[in-house]
Amino acid sequence: MRPVRLPIAAALLCAFVASAATAQEVSPPSAQDSVQFLAIGDTGTGDTAQQQVAAMMVKARAAFPFTFAIMMGDNLYGSERPQDYAKKFEIPYKPLLDAKVEFYASLGNHDDPNQRMYKPFNMNGQRFYTFKKGNVRFFALDSNYFDREQADWLEKALAAATEDWKICFFHHPLYSSGGRHGSEVDLRAALEPLFLKYGVQVVFAGHEHFYERLRPQKGILYFVNGGGAKLRSGDITKTAMTAVGFDADRSFMLVEIAGDVMTYQVLSRTGKRVDSGSFQRPVAAQSTDAPATRE
Amino acid sequence: MGTAGVSAQDPPVNQYGAAVKAFRDRLDAYLAVHRKAAGTVPALKETDDPAKLTSREQAIGEAIRQLRPDAKAGDVFGTELAPRIRDIIKKDWARRSAADKAGLAEDMPPGSVADVNATYPPALPLATFPASLLASLPPLPEEIEYRFVGRHLILRDVKANIIIDVLPSVLPGART
Repeated sequence: MRPVRLPIAAALLCAFVASAATAQEVSPPSAQDSVQFLAIGDTGTGDTAQQQVAAMMVKARAAFPFTFAIMMGDNLYGSERPQDYAKKFEIPYKPLLDAKVEFYASLGNHDDPNQRMYKPFNMNGQRFYTFKKGNVRFFALDSNYFDREQADWLEKALAAATEDWKICFFHHPLYSSGGRHGSEVDLRAALEPLFLKYGVQVVFAGHEHFYERLRPQKGILYFVNGGGAKLRSGDITKTAMTAVGFDADRSFMLVEIAGDVMTYQVLSRTGKRVDSGSFQRPVAAQSTDAPATRE
Repeated sequence: MGTAGVSAQDPPVNQYGAAVKAFRDRLDAYLAVHRKAAGTVPALKETDDPAKLTSREQAIGEAIRQLRPDAKAGDVFGTELAPRIRDIIKKDWARRSAADKAGLAEDMPPGSVADVNATYPPALPLATFPASLLASLPPLPEEIEYRFVGRHLILRDVKANIIIDVLPSVLPGART
């Protein structure tokens, strides 16, 4: 990767935030050999808030040593010149990139699809792709443009997956209590039948600039995790499907999958834990009964 | 019975099918232009240098503009297919709730950017295209996609980031 020069102001800010804030509320992973990852969304502003959240991620990693990150899209807001890649991705996450944390991106509506050729995003030149970590199969989708080609690919990829866990991540939430956007019912009609048919257990999305954990919908656990830099304060109107909502500050997720249990913790920009819990992998993957969750 | 020409005895033609076939032929013709343009710049591999991404995109776009300098709205959509597409979109829009329409319009860029051969402004978002509507429209090759800008439907060259055709004012009530 190209060397990145950290502007003095950004360096000072990162140093300040990292020293002033704490990450004492981070629980360490339960097992050394588990799958441990970071989940972030709607990050690419290049502004102070993104840098502050990034600094907290670095702090959290000391206790929770994730090895890769999944990105829910809007990786770069606005222009996408080389200096924007630096300002909105390479500089904020430099400590993580230097530590060999791998970033797996999906495309948001603010992203040029040519980002798929940007090596640090690990998209292998594809708008949609899959990768495996331990007993988990991840599927990164392009929810901006869910065409037949992608639907066919997804069905084949899901059918071929033999891992215990199937996790999808993409930009637009199928379920959301956000006032600005809300649930993407059109996309849900296309995706949910495939998720149910092939036993997807967990779905991460962004687009809404807040954090929300939904009560399992038809047995699938959904997260809205689009507060990685932007914030839509007070946008959540809690409904019956809302388990936990946080729209008071930016946030990110730390996730561990150990055997049949997934645990998650959500931290704010200042290191406050705003949600945590665990999710037992459903035995019958295609069941529509709500699986056990523990908060 | 003769086999050439059209007579009153010939079976009726599926007009929509014929319009889609003609559309595909025009897409193929465009793809030939695209490939010729892409052939003038080095192939792109995954890179950690974003400058290579943008410079190649711009070079292909410029080469396409030079290869079809007189391109105008309707050249690819065609006169036969355009009213069918308008009808499909009109029906799709009519069945959507007010909240759904508002959500779709929320991220839609202004229609003033929709000029044939223009670069799609890199700083503007690409409005999400509804999956169910996409399934109703004639499929496109991977190099081209449908998008909305304002009230207009465009065909966008994905790798060159240019607008290759425009079907104006297909969406009622959306932002212009």
